[in-house]
Amino acid sequence: MKGSIVIITEHNKGQVAASTYELLAMAEEIRQGRPLDVIAVVLGAEAETAAQEMAKATGEPVVAIQNQHLALYNSELYKDLLVDILPQLDPVFVLVGQTTQGLDFAPGLAICLKAGCITGVDAVFREEGDIYFSRVMYNGKIVLDLAPLTKTTVLTVQPGSFKARRDIATTPGSVELRKSTAEPKKTRSLGTKRARQEDAGLAEADVIVSAGRGTGKKENLGLIQRLAALFPRSAVAGSRPVCDSGWLEYKKQVGLTGATVSPRVYIACGISGTIQHTVGMQGSGFIVAISTDPNAAIFNIADVCIVEDLTTFIPTLIEAYEESKGYV
Amino acid sequence: MKILVCIKQVPDSETAFRVDKDTGWVRPKGQTKYWMNHADEFAVEEAVLIKETRPDTVVDALTVGPERAAQVLERAMGMGADGAVHLLVPEEGYLSPLSIASLIAAYASDKGYGLILAGVMAEDDMQGQVGPLLAELLSLPCATSVIFEELSPDGGMVYVEREIEGGQRDILELDLPAVLTVQTGINKPRYSSLSNLLRAKKQKAFVINRDKLPSVEDREKILRADYPRKSRTGVVLEGDQGEKAVQLLQILKEKAFL
Ligand SMILES: Cc1cc2nc3c(=O)[nH]c(=O)nc-3n(C[C@H](O)[C@H](O)[C@H](O)COP(=O)(O)OP(=O)(O)OC[C@H]3O[C@@H](n4cnc5c(N)ncnc54)[C@H](O)[C@@H]3O)c2cc1C
Ligand SMILES: Nc1ncnc2c1ncn2[C@@H]1O[C@H](COP(=O)(O)O)[C@@H](O)[C@H]1O
Repeated sequence: MKGSIVIITEHNKGQVAASTYELLAMAEEIRQGRPLDVIAVVLGAEAETAAQEMAKATGEPVVAIQNQHLALYNSELYKDLLVDILPQLDPVFVLVGQTTQGLDFAPGLAICLKAGCITGVDAVFREEGDIYFSRVMYNGKIVLDLAPLTKTTVLTVQPGSFKARRDIATTPGSVELRKSTAEPKKTRSLGTKRARQEDAGLAEADVIVSAGRGTGKKENLGLIQRLAALFPRSAVAGSRPVCDSGWLEYKKQVGLTGATVSPRVYIACGISGTIQHTVGMQGSGFIVAISTDPNAAIFNIADVCIVEDLTTFIPTLIEAYEESKGYV
Repeated sequence: MKILVCIKQVPDSETAFRVDKDTGWVRPKGQTKYWMNHADEFAVEEAVLIKETRPDTVVDALTVGPERAAQVLERAMGMGADGAVHLLVPEEGYLSPLSIASLIAAYASDKGYGLILAGVMAEDDMQGQVGPLLAELLSLPCATSVIFEELSPDGGMVYVEREIEGGQRDILELDLPAVLTVQTGINKPRYSSLSNLLRAKKQKAFVINRDKLPSVEDREKILRADYPRKSRTGVVLEGDQGEKAVQLLQILKEKAFL
């Protein structure tokens, strides 16, 4: 056997997540260096629906495991079922989306498979026949290239790193449906709830001024608000630590576990630019970043980079604006 | 019940790094400030909150790291942890999540912890692995990204809400013992109290050298560390603050944003 790349399909009640199609694009890149089979695996109470969609969109073979206890995601059952099936597929790489779900089961799965585990993968490279993966650390300031040492490696892949591959197959792939009645023993999934309302203000704003941990203290939020007030149709938002501290309500949080926004202008104040924040705002039309740290990763995606202390720069900016308007 | 909280010392987010050409590894540039990984502060606070409602609770804080990491153990005890365990890895450098989790598992396996808490992710290496790896090594159930938890009155189970994309929550129940990785915002971490800090100074951490614990082989090899390949395409404003302010206003006006 030549080995395979197994794609773990993430889906919501049978609807395949966009991040899964990105895994297929990554598999394609790996395959250019090493001829491996690609097989998708789907787990769920409605596994067949997602499996048909995958087979149609990709033309690759799909194995679906239907289990009525997986109407909701359950990490224990996921691992049990995958440990059962994966060895039969002879995987060299197991690709999982780096979502809150993927990151929940992938490391444990790797232990069960005696496999390596690399999380946060955002690129794949080939060098003299070898394949290696890169990921960032230190808030995006350093890139690390890693090569697997084990027969099997589980990889979680940062959403947005690869361009989704779908709807290219002329003939759909095969679907093998298996039924399972296994039950989780120590982990019971009870449901899902929405814990916070949407903030219409963020979705409608043309300009979002966003406060990060660099804002320093709650009192300094006044500066952020005054800056926002210069623009018509503007709103104030923040990074997670700002909301954790209670300086802003959670519905103002931008990022992976907050809102995804795409205003015409996003002004990041005292935000370092970790991937969990930037996934929520990188679709903005124009990005201005203010940070004291010249190496902050936010500057890699900003259109205008300002290395300054926001507590003095924002007052200077507001003053300059008022002067230009002839207020003073 | 005995609770173990895994805490990591990390360099603060303003630290600059230099790639060391000889070792291929990264070193902080200049004087580095270290602090407790933020998510871990929330984990310590959660353990202390449990202790406040269940008087039979004992909280141990544990770190794997060099000498300097003792600082975060002191902070944890300052917040109210009862004991501190330092799995000492004297040399600086990369520790894979598997090697960290294996060291913790080797220490914790026979200590009878009913609950093990870790942070959802370390700010320095951003792996998000140590908690779930540790759970699997100890064959315990695990929930990551926990934003609410409540132990059942008999201490046999824990009700958990884990945060998923867009602020939604998955609700689940785990049998204890279990491993939870704590998301920031679950509580409000307290400051150290003076009396606790004095106790920490006196009590000292229990130190075990990594040689005394079984080691595992890494399953991936670091080829190199490097600076981001995505190079900057935006303009960097130059001049003093006033000049930068005027330039920014000009750009915003040209683009008709202002
Ligand atoms: C599963 C998961 C989900 C997450 N979801 C989100 C999410 O939805 N949204 C989110 O934002 N984060 C999220 N995070 C957290 C994320 O990883 C980062 O910890 C967080 O985004 C960092 O926020 P920050 O940039 O404000 O703070 P830091 O990283 O601490 O950066 C602060 C910046 O401010 C600069 N600074 C300091 N003082 C000043 C000053 N006086 N003037 C100007 N600049 C200054 C610093 O140099 C630094 O660049 C999540 C993490 C995990 C693990
Ligand atoms: N060296 C360490 N010592 C103790 N705990 C650690 C260490 N590294 C990671 N952890 C724990 O594991 C969590 C996740 O770390 P990571 O997997 O590196 O992102 C951290 O928030 C800590 O709770």
